[in-house]
Amino acid sequence: MEPVSRLEQVFEAGQFAVTVEIGPPKGVDVSHLLAAAQALRDHVHAVNVTDQQSSVMTLGSLTACHLLLDQDIEPIYQVTCRDRNRIALQSDLLSAYALGIRNVLCLTGDHVSLGDHPQAKPVFDLDSVTLLRTLRTLEEGHDLAGKELAGAPRFFPGAVVSPAANPLGPQIAKMEKKVRAGARFFQTQAVYDPGQFERFMRQVEHFGVPIMAGIIPLKSAGMARFMNRNIAGVRVPDSLIEEMATTSDRPKTSIDICARLIREMSSMCQGVHLMPIGWERHVPAILWKLEMRN
Amino acid sequence: MIITEQKELAEILSMLEEHQSVFVVGCGICATTWRTGGEREVKTLVSKLGEAGKQCTGWTVTQEACCDARLTRRVLKQSGTALSVSDAIVVMACGAGVQTVASLVDLPAYPGLNTIGLSQIQSLSLAFERCRLCGDCILAETGGICPVARCPKGLMNGPCGGYEDGKCEVDRTQDCVWVAIYERLQQLGQEERFVAIRDPKDWSQMRSPRVVDKRAARLASM
Repeated sequence: MEPVSRLEQVFEAGQFAVTVEIGPPKGVDVSHLLAAAQALRDHVHAVNVTDQQSSVMTLGSLTACHLLLDQDIEPIYQVTCRDRNRIALQSDLLSAYALGIRNVLCLTGDHVSLGDHPQAKPVFDLDSVTLLRTLRTLEEGHDLAGKELAGAPRFFPGAVVSPAANPLGPQIAKMEKKVRAGARFFQTQAVYDPGQFERFMRQVEHFGVPIMAGIIPLKSAGMARFMNRNIAGVRVPDSLIEEMATTSDRPKTSIDICARLIREMSSMCQGVHLMPIGWERHVPAILWKLEMRN
Repeated sequence: MIITEQKELAEILSMLEEHQSVFVVGCGICATTWRTGGEREVKTLVSKLGEAGKQCTGWTVTQEACCDARLTRRVLKQSGTALSVSDAIVVMACGAGVQTVASLVDLPAYPGLNTIGLSQIQSLSLAFERCRLCGDCILAETGGICPVARCPKGLMNGPCGGYEDGKCEVDRTQDCVWVAIYERLQQLGQEERFVAIRDPKDWSQMRSPRVVDKRAARLASM
C-alpha cells in the first residue's frame, strides 16, 4: 500500500528520519508556534504537536496540526487518553483524518495531578495500546461499537517507549503490545547514554519497527539535574552535566552534545526526535552540524 | 473494609449551624474497626459537641453494620424517645451508613466522616485502597493485584512511561502497580496474562446507581 505520509515514506526508503516537537500556546496567539514551525520546515520530515503536554492546558493539538498543514508542514498528531473518552477520541481521529492529518502518535498521557488543573477528573477510558487498536479498527471501516463508518481513514500510527525505564522488562513487554496493536514507529523518551541505548535497541530490534531516539537539548546543568530528579526515564550522565556547567557558551555546547549523541546513535536506530522545549531556534544548527559530517 | 476519615469538628459544626439538639450514630463494623466511628469516637464527638454549645440528646452504635437497614431500623426505634427531641443526626459511618440512617428517620442526617475506600487494613493506622467496585473483577488476569484501584490512571495494558525505579509517577512513595503485576505474573509463571491485550474496560458495569436484586434475578433466570 502507498505510504500515507512523508514520514512513512522516509522510513520505507530507509532514510534517517528527523522529527521535532513543538507545543501549542496557552492562548490563541499562534504566531510563535507558526514561526517556530516555519523555521524548522526545511530541516525535519515532520513536526510533533503535543496534546496538553504534562497535563498543562493549551490550545489543542488537532487545531495546531491543521494550522501546520496549512503551512505545508507535515504534522504528527499527538493524542493522549487523559482527557477524552472513547467517543471523543474516535471522533477526533476521524476529524484529524478529514483535515489531512495522517501521522498519529498514541500516548497514555501524564496524570492530571502533574499539571496545572490537578482537580480535573482524569479519563483514561482507553490506554495507549487500546488507542492504537482503535486506529486500526477505524481503518477497518467500523468504530469500537462495531458500527460501520461512511468512509474509513488511513493513518500512520506511532507510539512511545522509554529506553531507560527501570525496571525495563515491563516497558519492553508493553512496547511489544503496542507493536501488536498497530504501532508502526516509535519515538523514545530522551536518551543521553548511547551505550545504554544500544543495549535497549538490541532487545527490541526484533520487533522490526522503526525507532527514533529522543533527545531534549540541554539548556543548562540545572535543567539536566532537574530532569534527572523529575522526569521518569531521563538520565543525563554526570559528564554531560559537567560539560554544560563549565561552558561559557551554553547553546553552542548544547548543540555540540546533541550532534554528538545523534552521530553516535544514528547507526543504532532509524531516526531522531528532538524535543527542544523553547529552543526550536537551535535545532537547525544541530542538524546542520550533522550534515557537515556527511 | 470501608475506610473512613473523621471530618474536622469545624465542618461538622457548620453543618449543624441551624440545629441545637443532636443525636449521634456510630457504626459497629467498619468505623468501629478503623476507629473512626465506634463507641469511643462517638462519645468523643458527643462531648465536643457539648463543649461547642450543642445539646446531645443521645447516641448509639449499631451492633452490626450501620448500612444494614433491617438492623439499623431496630436500633433507631430503641432510641425513639431521644430522636423525638432531636433536630439533627450526625452519622459516624460511611456514605452508605449515613444514607441508611437518613432513609429511616425524618430528621436531617449529616455525615461525620468522609468515605475513602474499600481497603486492606495493614495496621490500625495504615490502610491501602484495593477495590473500586468496578463490577467486573479481572484479578485472575492480573496476578491478584487490581490496576483499576491501584493505578491512578486505571490502565489495563501495562505501565505508562511515568514509573521510575518501580515507583508511580503520581506518588513516588507508591509502587507502580503494573510493575508489581508484571513481577507477580512472572513469579506465578503466568507471563502470558501480561502479554494479552485487554479490551477497553466495560464501564457500563459501574454505572450508578447499581441495584442488586437477587430475587428479581432469580425470577428472570427461571
